[in-house]
Amino acid sequence: MKKQLRTLAALAMAFTVAVTGTVTAKAAAPAAPEKQSITFALHSIADSIDPSITAETYASPILTNVFEGLVSYDADNNIIPGNAESWELSEDGTVYTFHLREGLKWSDGSDLTAKDYVYGWMRVITPEVGSLFADQMLPYIVNAQEYYDDNAAAEDVGIKALDDLTLEVTLINPTPFFLGLVATYTFSPVQQATVEANGDQWTLSAEAYVSNGPFYVTEINFNESYVMKKNPYYWNAENVVLEELKFVFIPESTTALNAFEGGEIQGFWEVPSDSLPVLRVESDELVTVNAFGTTFHIMNNTVEPFDNPLVRKAFNLAIDREQLIYNVLGTDDIPAFALVSPGYVVDGVDVTEGRSSYEMSPNADPEAAQAALAEAGYPNGEGFPKVTYYYSTNDTYKKTVEALVEMLETNLNIEIEMKTADWAVMYADIQAGNYQIAQYGWGGDYLHPMTFLPLFVTDAVNNYSHYSNPTYDELVAAIMVETDDAKAAEMIRQAEDSLMADYPMLPLFHRSYSYMMSRNTAGYFRTPLNNLYFRDAYVVE
Amino acid sequence: MGRYIAKRIGMSVVTLFVLICLTFAMMHAIPGGPFTSDRNVTEAVQQALNEKYHLNDPVIVQFGNYIKDLLHGDLGMSYQYQGKSVNDFIVDGFPVSGKLGLVTTIFVLLASIPMGIVAALKNGRWQDMLVMVIATLGVTIPSFVIATMLMYLFSYKLGWLPTFGISSWKSFILPMVAMGGYSLAFLARLMRSSLLEVMGQDYIRTARSKGISEFKTITRHALRNALIPVITVLGPTIANLVTGSFVIESIFAMPGLGVHYVTSINNRDYSTIMGVTIFYATFLIAIVFIVDLFYCLIDPRIRYE
Repeated sequence: MKKQLRTLAALAMAFTVAVTGTVTAKAAAPAAPEKQSITFALHSIADSIDPSITAETYASPILTNVFEGLVSYDADNNIIPGNAESWELSEDGTVYTFHLREGLKWSDGSDLTAKDYVYGWMRVITPEVGSLFADQMLPYIVNAQEYYDDNAAAEDVGIKALDDLTLEVTLINPTPFFLGLVATYTFSPVQQATVEANGDQWTLSAEAYVSNGPFYVTEINFNESYVMKKNPYYWNAENVVLEELKFVFIPESTTALNAFEGGEIQGFWEVPSDSLPVLRVESDELVTVNAFGTTFHIMNNTVEPFDNPLVRKAFNLAIDREQLIYNVLGTDDIPAFALVSPGYVVDGVDVTEGRSSYEMSPNADPEAAQAALAEAGYPNGEGFPKVTYYYSTNDTYKKTVEALVEMLETNLNIEIEMKTADWAVMYADIQAGNYQIAQYGWGGDYLHPMTFLPLFVTDAVNNYSHYSNPTYDELVAAIMVETDDAKAAEMIRQAEDSLMADYPMLPLFHRSYSYMMSRNTAGYFRTPLNNLYFRDAYVVE
Repeated sequence: MGRYIAKRIGMSVVTLFVLICLTFAMMHAIPGGPFTSDRNVTEAVQQALNEKYHLNDPVIVQFGNYIKDLLHGDLGMSYQYQGKSVNDFIVDGFPVSGKLGLVTTIFVLLASIPMGIVAALKNGRWQDMLVMVIATLGVTIPSFVIATMLMYLFSYKLGWLPTFGISSWKSFILPMVAMGGYSLAFLARLMRSSLLEVMGQDYIRTARSKGISEFKTITRHALRNALIPVITVLGPTIANLVTGSFVIESIFAMPGLGVHYVTSINNRDYSTIMGVTIFYATFLIAIVFIVDLFYCLIDPRIRYE
């Protein structure tokens, strides 16, 4: 069936080429196998490449390509079968039954069964393992939190292998975005044998690092490179064209650009922002994709003057988002007037489509901003206390905050002080509530608005604004368990309306990702969740 | 001499201990911890992490445990990189930094001392001017600018040398020149002024008046004395070059030790901060000590009691 579909797709593509002639013949033909090698530069090594432990962005390109979970993503952001061939959801929406493909194998050739999934998932909720992403599982799976807190036994947890090919997962509540979570690397299987033989060193040597994805690691040079080869034991190996995939670490983006233009590497991300405007005009190798992320700056809703919604509104109206994005940052981001990033689609309609702009516009509206400030009791900025704008030391953040401060000071006639510290100091301060207004943002973990909405729920762990609104809290709680996507979409809009009526933060832009890929490569894709897939990539002739 | 060496070793141990105490205290005084990030974790998860890494123990207990492990040569596990020990970092990173530092040191010595000698002997003439111009540029242009210019010219435009990594011996050429620029300029200037001063001394006039050839006067009498200040600064210079430069290693993407100095502090990777500091300090102390012993060989007037 799968094969037939592929043939059909190839035919359709051939037809498109014949009719429109837009796709060059070059892009269609993969080069000889010995040329199927891509070197991609990353900015930094990850804290770990243990899928059960890490929560770091830098780990994702590695894990996305050497592991595969029950489900995965395709280039159009659809969830597709991965290790699981199919799955069913119980009537009440709380029990998932996953059916694994027959004959799945680890990269060392041993059998991979549903028990390996149980082992991998249980590691995440075992406190001694020290997973930084345990919060991806604990709130959703039956008895996961209880097991983590040592109040339940392993066999009570809702993760069970019914047989070698069947995994049953029992959820506390219907969780409409659960498959999105299952697609993250945290839900990967882990081979018990290698972990038991090598302990926490299992991710440090190529021999011990057993995986199950399209590629497997053949060489680990700490801080230098990961070399991967096509995994012959991958269930769909016959459709993997790329023979070798190499990740190298280049901390400086200008060095990466030089290496790219000299042909030493075929791609890299974190394009130097100074070069972006030029590359956008001159290079056909710059790829930009919309991300499922929003950059918003947070205001401490519990301290003066930001405890007043009118002050927060004035700030929101006084900034020129378009100028910030195009002139200051030189990116392709989209001005944001709310929290949830576009990208989640229900019945063909993006849930953010037609959303209000909450009196904001891409440009500043100084008069309306002044009016709001006057209503708050500070006509023409008189009597407004000097506030401190906090950001972590980084050139881009500095540029952003300087531009915003300039706009706010001019349009509101107030005084703002800037403060910077390294990010660990800044986040420690923010988490302790020691700030007034600060740089922040959020990249989604799964493609559903629920990855954003809890950020403003009363007392939620990441609610650094200390915003509290019972109506909003109730709506978010209801969305979390709503199985009817259309109904949920409606509630998501209501929740955002209720949130933005109070302007608890300063939404700036919905993010996009820019990266460079050689014109001699094809088939790769980067999802809005920032996962870069080389599964279908190949080098063209 | 034996007593002197014993005394110096004793002093070194005390210095190291004071340094360990200071670093440990300062490190725990700065806000944020190894698991602080933009993404907060729940209380339960934070507790589990603290438990795993023994961060719940009182700081004084943590310090005691650290010293105990240190005496066994164990610098501890990294808080940042899962499964990696700080000893691993040094074993992985030091050979790269060390190799780069060593070739840079040789390059610097081979270039700066002859440059300084030529400049001193041709004092005021064009050779002197040329050396001084190069020396001034080397001191004033920051290494990252030199690095970027070299990379643009030799890697990007001409394609002669690799841009990044340590794949071949060629990878070391650009970092060597960029990193050595400052030391080269500094040592050349020092050599020049030191030699000029010596050349004006009475014993040089005496040597000349005895009819010793100019070459012998310079090599036998002038150089030996003129080299003393150069050797004094050579210790810290070598230690600096050999332990790795964060900037140069980062620009040329070399997996050396330099990067850990900076990133470990940003990451609050406590054990790595301690480990690299102790390693660097020990190295520096040892080098300075060796240099002091070298004085005796160069200058028979210096005697240690």
